[in-house]
Amino acid sequence: MGKLRDPPHELALRILGEVIFEDRLVGFSLHERTGPNPVTMYSFEEVVSLLNDPHPRLDFSELETWIREIMGDEELAEQIADSIRKGKSDQNISLRIKKLMEERLDQCKRSI
Amino acid sequence: MNGYAGKILRIDLTDRKISTIDTKDYEQWVGGHGMGSAIFWDLVKDKTIKGFDPRNIITIMTSPLSGTLAPGASGRTEVQGIGIQSYPIGWFTRSNFGGRFSAMLKYAGWDGIVIEGKADKPVWVDIRNEDVKIKDARPLWGLDTWKTQEDIWREVSGRGFGGWVELDSERRTTQRPAVLTIGPAGENLSVTACLIHDAGNSAGQGGFGGIWGSKNLKAISVIGTGSIQIANPKGLMEARLWAQKKYSTDLNNPDASWVARFGRRRPQNLFWDKQEKARLNSCIGCHIGCKERSDTGYGNESTCHETFFYAGYDKAKHGGKQTSAAYIATDLLQKYGINAYEASRGLTYIRALERMGLLGRGKKIECDLDFRKLGETEFADQFLKMIAYRRGIGDDFAEGFFRAAKRWGRLEEDLKAGILYYSYWGLPEHSYDPRAEVEWGYGSILGDRDINEHDFNFLFWWPSGAIWAGKTPQPPAEQAVKIIAEKLMPYENDPLMLDFSTDNIYSEHMAKLVGWHRHYTRFWKESVLYCDNRWPEFINSRVPGYRGITGEGEPKFLNAVTGKMLTFLDGMEMGRKIWNLDNAIWILQGRHRNMVHFSDYIYNVPYKGTGNFAMYYLPGREKGKWDYIRVDGRHLDRAKFEEFKTRFYDLEGWDSRSGWPKRGTLESLGLKSVADELEKNKKLGA
Repeated sequence: MGKLRDPPHELALRILGEVIFEDRLVGFSLHERTGPNPVTMYSFEEVVSLLNDPHPRLDFSELETWIREIMGDEELAEQIADSIRKGKSDQNISLRIKKLMEERLDQCKRSI
Repeated sequence: MNGYAGKILRIDLTDRKISTIDTKDYEQWVGGHGMGSAIFWDLVKDKTIKGFDPRNIITIMTSPLSGTLAPGASGRTEVQGIGIQSYPIGWFTRSNFGGRFSAMLKYAGWDGIVIEGKADKPVWVDIRNEDVKIKDARPLWGLDTWKTQEDIWREVSGRGFGGWVELDSERRTTQRPAVLTIGPAGENLSVTACLIHDAGNSAGQGGFGGIWGSKNLKAISVIGTGSIQIANPKGLMEARLWAQKKYSTDLNNPDASWVARFGRRRPQNLFWDKQEKARLNSCIGCHIGCKERSDTGYGNESTCHETFFYAGYDKAKHGGKQTSAAYIATDLLQKYGINAYEASRGLTYIRALERMGLLGRGKKIECDLDFRKLGETEFADQFLKMIAYRRGIGDDFAEGFFRAAKRWGRLEEDLKAGILYYSYWGLPEHSYDPRAEVEWGYGSILGDRDINEHDFNFLFWWPSGAIWAGKTPQPPAEQAVKIIAEKLMPYENDPLMLDFSTDNIYSEHMAKLVGWHRHYTRFWKESVLYCDNRWPEFINSRVPGYRGITGEGEPKFLNAVTGKMLTFLDGMEMGRKIWNLDNAIWILQGRHRNMVHFSDYIYNVPYKGTGNFAMYYLPGREKGKWDYIRVDGRHLDRAKFEEFKTRFYDLEGWDSRSGWPKRGTLESLGLKSVADELEKNKKLGA
């Protein structure tokens, strides 16, 4: 997993924005008593929020496609694909992707 | 009467009349829900009335264990009456809350409260031992639930908190009164309105807050100085020590893989990031403490879904980090007295409508909310105020988001698409989706509400968490199922009751599981009032052989308090009796098997949508072998669910064409008068 290059201004703007209903992602936040709560995400930042949950669940391949096609972030999508390949468990993959997305989010916020 | 105060307080708000019911008249029902249903049956002659009808009565019942040392049972209170939240009929329903209200009511000399009628102006009820007064609540009307309680504490104590409260020349206490109250949501008759006690205990489901509002009842305060007679005090103490020694966590040597419900290890059920400085808080008499109080003063006593409500939005707004917004938003739910599930699922829904371009300023559904501020405290306050005060589109929100969708002409479309997570009776889904963990959904649709009884959810949680983390779930599915099946009396030793594979979820075995669950909870949890957080406990990894306290523990504590010799199986039969009585009430309200079906998306949309990821594991058989299997990609089959209903009704001894109990079944349970009433109304099963 390499360090991400600084995103172009246009990409940063897109990453900090919201998507339309059809482009949403749906994941789940699992807790022992409240159960698997569906979490509908309309922004990159909301995905980061879910990944900060102790028990996030989402389709990593769908996320990779979303990053590539909806966010237009080829570089990050590639690194997510790499994390999926190398992750030893879903938890491990989640943590790897979280780290990547947090880094990208910081970069975008700093550049705007 | 060991375990009882001996009398039930009856308050007629219309005539401002205070009277008593002899607890002995209802002792056969033991307590809580059983007593509440029986009293409702006797006092409400016309069961077809609506929740806001002044003839609707609300029962607030304790159990023999309330206010005693029985672990995880002392602090619960059961609330019942005709509700206003469910759809198309506001079913006779129930809710339940923790804290110290039930204990204080017993110490004041009352086993329960029955509220009937409607006051002509706002009132609150002031109970000080046997002295009961109906007081003017106009100064309290409009206050939030916390301020209301503070004002009442101050009035009752006479000089602030912490000093002696003189109840008469001989009796005094340093305790604060226990207050149950409504907030603005209740005053404004919202179906989402709760009853709130202390900072974070709420009777959330059913819309009881709105019903209190319709009765002009702002609060009930109780303070008592009495005690509860225990049949076998030594036996009760020994039982508690036995439970602690055998089933509780060994705090000096907690095992990382340690699993249990009764004696589980902390932390609690808080779904926001924990606050740095906080201490445990528990309901009275509890051995665990699943709540917290923090040095910030935020989020005190709240647990479960209300702590989830805003945590994700807060994090999303703040770079993945939790801020005070989540805690404050939860506090606002408690202060305004709003059901967390309605607020949570409702917010998800209107956000979807906003993203679809249908809701917002100048949109088809006019709404002032600025979603750019979602995640900030300001947004939460605005959203919840709209519900509580019916501001703008909040007038629709206050009817619950199912009815709001109907008002907006979107109900069928959004249920079909699964955008609106309301799967049964117009109520928000809990997350234990009927398509995956079927016993939850089936129990809810065959009953009156989201069951909110987590008795089998550990079978999802343990394997799903372990597999996600790359570990092998323990104990193995076959062993876990065997241990649990041993305890499912009177259907014991049928492991197929716990086979959640698609081939088995419509079977008679699953019908037995659903029936067992309804009967167990109706008695042991809703009537004896064992807490859902701790009971039942099937598996406990601290015990050799993993066998948990359930089966032995429940009657042990009850018998020590009451001196009765009730067996676990006796309790299951009592639960069946109460379940039949409740069904009779629903039938008189208009229920027929044709109404018993889920929302369309449960049959049309695979659970978890198109996402190809493993999330939900439960025990099941694949090619004859037990394992934890994935259940998250399926939807229910409409025709097969109808077949399941027939099996369930047959098992219960009901008429499978109508879903109505038969005379023979009711009479065998000692419910002849109930059978007579159903027959008179031409609603007895044939």
